[in-house]
Amino acid sequence: MTRGSRHQIGRIARLLAASVIALAFFLPFYWAVVISLRPLGSPPPSTIVWWPSEAQWSNYTAIFSIVPFARYFLNSVRVAAVAVPLTWFFASITGFGLSRLPYRWRRLLVPLMAIMLVIPGVAFWIIRFRVFQFFGLLDTLWALIAPAFMGGNPLFILLFYWTFRRIPQDLYEAARMDGASWWQVWVYIGSPLSRATGAAVVVLAFVKFWSDFTDPVLYIFDTGKYTLPVGLQLIRQLDQTNIPLLMVGAVFMILPVLVVFITMQRVFWRERPTGLFPTRSRARRERI
Amino acid sequence: MSHGNRWRWFSPWYFLFPFLVVSSLLIVWPTLVTAGLAFTDFNAVSAPVWVGLDNFLRLAQSEIVRTGLVNSGIFVALAVPLRTAGALGMALLLRGRERPFGVLRGVVYLPTVIPEAAYALIWLWILNPVYGPLNLLLGAVGLPAINWLTDPVYARLGMVILATFQIGEGFVLLLAARETIAQDVYEAAAIDGADRWRAFRYITMPLLLPWLLLLVGRDLLVSLQNTFAPSFIITYGGPYYATTFVPLLVYEMAFDFLELGMAAALLLFVLLVTGLITLAITDFSVVKE
Repeated sequence: MTRGSRHQIGRIARLLAASVIALAFFLPFYWAVVISLRPLGSPPPSTIVWWPSEAQWSNYTAIFSIVPFARYFLNSVRVAAVAVPLTWFFASITGFGLSRLPYRWRRLLVPLMAIMLVIPGVAFWIIRFRVFQFFGLLDTLWALIAPAFMGGNPLFILLFYWTFRRIPQDLYEAARMDGASWWQVWVYIGSPLSRATGAAVVVLAFVKFWSDFTDPVLYIFDTGKYTLPVGLQLIRQLDQTNIPLLMVGAVFMILPVLVVFITMQRVFWRERPTGLFPTRSRARRERI
Repeated sequence: MSHGNRWRWFSPWYFLFPFLVVSSLLIVWPTLVTAGLAFTDFNAVSAPVWVGLDNFLRLAQSEIVRTGLVNSGIFVALAVPLRTAGALGMALLLRGRERPFGVLRGVVYLPTVIPEAAYALIWLWILNPVYGPLNLLLGAVGLPAINWLTDPVYARLGMVILATFQIGEGFVLLLAARETIAQDVYEAAAIDGADRWRAFRYITMPLLLPWLLLLVGRDLLVSLQNTFAPSFIITYGGPYYATTFVPLLVYEMAFDFLELGMAAALLLFVLLVTGLITLAITDFSVVKE
């Protein structure tokens, strides 16, 4: 047997093993979809259902009349629609500013960002509550949007920072020589050249704001202002046993994330956080 | 040289201004004040009163706090090694340029990217002792049904299992780390007669070790925090407080019982412990680059 064909067999074996394991990652979602199509209020199945026999697509419209689902959905859309662009903007300018600072400041601020990244959220729950109260943001959707004004998450800022450091410094210098201000350098050079990172940050930011469960639990009390994740929790309390309805809600919540994730797949894997380290494949790509 | 641009005064520092203000309000100030509150008696209504180490003494005597710490300790001791091993295994299995590998990488990332509330609801049903698919699956292969949500031991285990699939970030990190190892090293080793196991043992593992430690350090902080949504939605801390982990306990202390000083003290204690472990085992040189 030649080396090449043995290599090929190893690859196929690896692919088979990986497929079997990956199935375990996928199965819960498949099951959720299948069960969401069972008749509402029907007795739970006593064997595993692999295929919906009489799919009740009407479940997906029924949920809107059973709970104020449209309202939760709209609130979630509102938060994401405002927070995602703001996150992109503030993460980008903060990363840009950071990348333009003298070395001694960067050396101080970049690790500081990394530390902020690992402080668990529980650490600021209590006092953030008071801060929101002080500014009158408590029980408003702005409390959920607020983190967007600091770039959403220190990781997003670091992603932009690494991208802006990678752009050849001569480009900035040339623009500066021509009399451009730093603001213009960001608008005309920085922001167009960081488009890929921007797309990755938009995906991550959408997931962050759309999925946020903890913040609405902590800072929203008026059920009319509930977003989807907490709204669904309400369905659970109303009707514990209505599994199909709960799964319809879960599928509704997952779907937008899935669409965004799949359409941005390519950008995401290329611009993944750690992909920014100069790995071999990246170096090869850039030489071409 | 200068063309008298009216934005000329705009130094790079101005870009950082919004971040510095907002992060001070939402992260720095809350963290520092919480640390201070740990030494006070504070019920959110009247002003905090300095009590020194009193809160810590009360914590040490509290039954529920001990339970919460033990629960969290068990959770971390099981989940962190499983999650790290899972991320490593999947990263080594799924590297490759062919399209199927790309699709499978997306599948492995899926449980990490979907909303935690939806994920928890799905598991609430999967773990259902009577008609949940997990028990039906166990029954199909002749194993006895398990009381996932009503037996304290298995409820905790259920939390670990669902966390074991949310390993996307570590998986991505290790995929990238594996790419940094040059193929030549493996070819040289193969010429010297090293088999697959030896190549893994003497090349892959040592070179990935700093990354694995980084991952473990991060996971100690992250996986504990991430128990909030599942323990809130699936079990609300039960049965018999078996899934009352530290974040849920802090939430109850602070927002239900208004024992903000106690909550802050517990938080400070846990932060210090996990922070110190993380600092001790993490080699930050891999991220400095």
